[in-house]
Amino acid sequence: MHSAHPGLPEFDYVKPASLAEASAFLKAHVGEARPFMGGTDTFVRMRDGFWKEKYLVDVKHLEGMQDITYDPAAGLVIGAAVNMNRVVASPLVKEHYPLLAEAAHSVASYQLRTRATIVGNICNASPAGDTTGACIAFDARLKVHGVDGFRFEPLQTFFKGPGKTVLQPGDIVVSIHFPPAPRGAQGKYIKLGRNAIGDLSIVGITVLGYPDASSSSGYRFKIALASVAPTPFVPAPAEALLAEKTITPALLEEAAQAAMDACKPIDDVRSSAVYRKAMVRNLTHKALVDVWGRLSAAAR
Amino acid sequence: MAVVGQSVLRIDALSKVKGEALYPGDINLPDQAWMKILFAGRVHAVIRSIDTAAAEALPGVLAVLTAKDVPVNEYGLIMPDQPVLCGPGSAKPYADHVRFWADQVAVVVAESEAIAAEACKLIKVDYEDLPAVFDPREAMAENAVLLHPDRGSNVFCHYRVRHGDVEEAFKKADIIIEGDYQTPAQEHAFLQPEAGISYIDEEDRVTVVVAGQWTHEDQEQIAHALHLPLEKVRVIYPAIGGAFGGREDMSVQIVLALAAWRLAQRGSKRPVKIIWSREESMIGHHKRHPFFIRTRWGATREGKVIAAEVELIEDGGAYAYTSTKVLGNATVLAVGAYEIPNVKVDAYSVYTNSIPNGAFRGFGGPQAIFGAEMQMNRLAEALGMDPVEIRMRNILQEGSTLIVGTPLPKGVSMPEVVKRTALQAGWIQTEKGWQAPEPSAPSQTHLKRGIGFGCGFKNVGFSFGAPEQCTAKIELRGKAEIEEAILYHSAAEVGQGVHTVMSQFAAEALGIPVEKVHLVASDTARTENSGSVSASRMTFMSGNSIIGAAEAALEKWRNEERPAVATYQYRPPRTTPMDPQTGKSEPNFAYGYVAQAAEVEVDTETGEVKLLNVICADDVGQAVNPQQVQAQIEGAIVQAAGYTLMENFVQKEGRVLTSTLSTYLIPTILDIPEKVDSIIVEDPDPIGPYGARGMGEMPYLPLAPTIAAAVHAATGVWFSHFPLTAETVLDGLGRIEK
Repeated sequence: MHSAHPGLPEFDYVKPASLAEASAFLKAHVGEARPFMGGTDTFVRMRDGFWKEKYLVDVKHLEGMQDITYDPAAGLVIGAAVNMNRVVASPLVKEHYPLLAEAAHSVASYQLRTRATIVGNICNASPAGDTTGACIAFDARLKVHGVDGFRFEPLQTFFKGPGKTVLQPGDIVVSIHFPPAPRGAQGKYIKLGRNAIGDLSIVGITVLGYPDASSSSGYRFKIALASVAPTPFVPAPAEALLAEKTITPALLEEAAQAAMDACKPIDDVRSSAVYRKAMVRNLTHKALVDVWGRLSAAAR
Repeated sequence: MAVVGQSVLRIDALSKVKGEALYPGDINLPDQAWMKILFAGRVHAVIRSIDTAAAEALPGVLAVLTAKDVPVNEYGLIMPDQPVLCGPGSAKPYADHVRFWADQVAVVVAESEAIAAEACKLIKVDYEDLPAVFDPREAMAENAVLLHPDRGSNVFCHYRVRHGDVEEAFKKADIIIEGDYQTPAQEHAFLQPEAGISYIDEEDRVTVVVAGQWTHEDQEQIAHALHLPLEKVRVIYPAIGGAFGGREDMSVQIVLALAAWRLAQRGSKRPVKIIWSREESMIGHHKRHPFFIRTRWGATREGKVIAAEVELIEDGGAYAYTSTKVLGNATVLAVGAYEIPNVKVDAYSVYTNSIPNGAFRGFGGPQAIFGAEMQMNRLAEALGMDPVEIRMRNILQEGSTLIVGTPLPKGVSMPEVVKRTALQAGWIQTEKGWQAPEPSAPSQTHLKRGIGFGCGFKNVGFSFGAPEQCTAKIELRGKAEIEEAILYHSAAEVGQGVHTVMSQFAAEALGIPVEKVHLVASDTARTENSGSVSASRMTFMSGNSIIGAAEAALEKWRNEERPAVATYQYRPPRTTPMDPQTGKSEPNFAYGYVAQAAEVEVDTETGEVKLLNVICADDVGQAVNPQQVQAQIEGAIVQAAGYTLMENFVQKEGRVLTSTLSTYLIPTILDIPEKVDSIIVEDPDPIGPYGARGMGEMPYLPLAPTIAAAVHAATGVWFSHFPLTAETVLDGLGRIEK
């Protein structure tokens, strides 16, 4: 049935003084408490009755949550509470990881991006997340604080299903860590939505390519697809083709076809599965051509 | 003229910009209770019983009302075929039937909205499901399940036009074009979801403060259902957040009145308030009618259309709403803005278990015009003829006869709007006739551009013999000079700017500055019946009523009456209903005329269609407020662009899957055309106030087929249905592997 008149249910707002306190509280209230970042998904899901948490645990103010730092050796660290507009505007991100800025800029609207965060986007584990693909392509890891202290979680194994991750009760993602971007990397994010602003993606295509002496083609391509599987999807056969064979226009088409063949999207109100598959091919090809054009121009 | 023709500041601009204007949801009264409606959540069923005991026992619940509490359990704008509340216990036959998902079953009044919502969940309804039908073509079958068993058929209206000799004419045709078209449903998506507050006023009237389009019709429907004398019901409109036809039928009006009235009978004179959520609004009010159109046109080699056969099947949804009126308009417009001597039309309104369909800007026009313009554009292609040239060879003009066998009223400007649009879009007139411009060049090879053309016309005012009038009262105050003119008028300001336009009319007719006109509006206890804000009629009708009242008041003023008060009822020339066999009629007393050209860019890799620019020439007779006219043209084009390209109202077996604005998308600022070129044509209507015609709907009419023609020009593919979403277009291009 439809939802009742929009209104948030009652809940308690909790503002712990430390990560330890926050993790302990979350662990002590399993199923009743949730870390609170931008709230752009949380409030909607609570309003619609899908989430029934009694406590929202605000962690935005805790140590490191609001920082963006860059070190040429260690890479980029983005605090979990850094909003998307800051990521888009950050000179560090624009210089070293422009693909990430491009992807963040495609999320919803400016207004929403003043609240939305990259880590929140990842923790919600939506297969439609626009920034997740760039994070996967750059081999980012999440720094997690749990009841036993800090640990890192790689993104490759982080997602378990729509809305499901490996995070355990008490876990709070503190920051996301990007290793230094591969030398000479070029990236492209293409989002196809039903309108020009605000819609979730019908498909989202992330491509990152860079010279790599260890692969037969001399290049390595990372590809991640949004909205085509229960979790953010990496079409491994397409990546393998581009690593193993000499890159030609025909190979780019072959790789795009391989990406299409590898994914198994579903029908929903935004699109049919067959259209999604066709779009994976056409737009992966478009992104590959764009990235390859820049890579080969740089090589000349 | 001093005031008419000036873009004076809207009289409501400041209060709306400052947030001071109160919309129904903003109004709160001391001690108010809250109401919640229980929707059926079934598409077709009989309600065996309703158990409200648990709901009534919930602390904070003041009343739970069901069918048995409604004295005359029926309503409907053109026929009372809908129960106020579905369920057993009322005298209305088959009122215990549920016919669509959001049929209203019970209302709960409680201390808070949350308690009312909670109580709704405690109401136990025993349903016996019935087979359902969703496709009107299937619902027309002899053995189809009946939605209204007392009617004997799901077809609740059939219009016939028999004009000339169609069979003979087809024999003479050099070319025949056949078409099979479908048009989609559309949600109004007005800014303000339904809301209202009801109370018993100081004169013991059941009073409802609500957003609507016709105060006096709301009043009548409430009085009928509650079996009260008209004067015991009062309807007041505060600021209204958009309508587009979507507030023409009842949503919360009757149940609000019922709740306050029943509470008062139980000794509790408390106001009752309701605000629908966006989801409730989207599943709860009617949509634009989907149409199935089958048509065949015959023409000569020279491009003269000599025969047309049209079948229109209109999906009425579960209840009639204004379907028969919509169908009537579509019938008159079935061959578009062309004079065709031999025409046969069969048009049907059909019940289905889908959401009811009803009034929406254009009122049958966009659907009929889509079929007609697709035919004309395809005929032009088949004959290798320019789309403007072929139109000029068939276009309605002064003295033309309509397909219903009578001439158009004087002041036909169809050729003029076509010409103005064509010239502005870059067409040139050569010795060989009109010649289309080339589209601009796209930036990449997978992008294709094309230009399309379309045109149409539509009635102003009520049609086919429906009682038509509009009444204004003017009170002039002052001594030697008029210091203040008070205009009493019921016309609903739904955002279209009519209150400003009415003030301009009054100022012009009285010869005073517009600042001296004060408006008392939309209160059945203080203002007379104006008819609805619909059918592009209120500028025309209010203007004539105000001019009449002003002249009468000035007469009294000159006779030294202070204050000088006069009431005037304007009645336009009479119209007549369609003859049941031939359709012969004088359908309307006035029309508006429009033409459009549009350029699109199609991405052949994704199917996305980008509307680059639109040129629209609209004959408004006299632009009373040119800025508002331009806003209406631009607004209509944006709304029609949404209808054509994006808005996809999805129902699965009668259940709405797009019940939010994140699933049902309307155009955003980045989706609208980069450029809309509004050409305001002012060819006076001989009987319009200062020559003004209606214009709110006309710019909406031809955009869908105009875009379809542009997409064809870009891709070579004709699309016979829309919205032209990226997926639909790519599929049509044959580029999706199944």
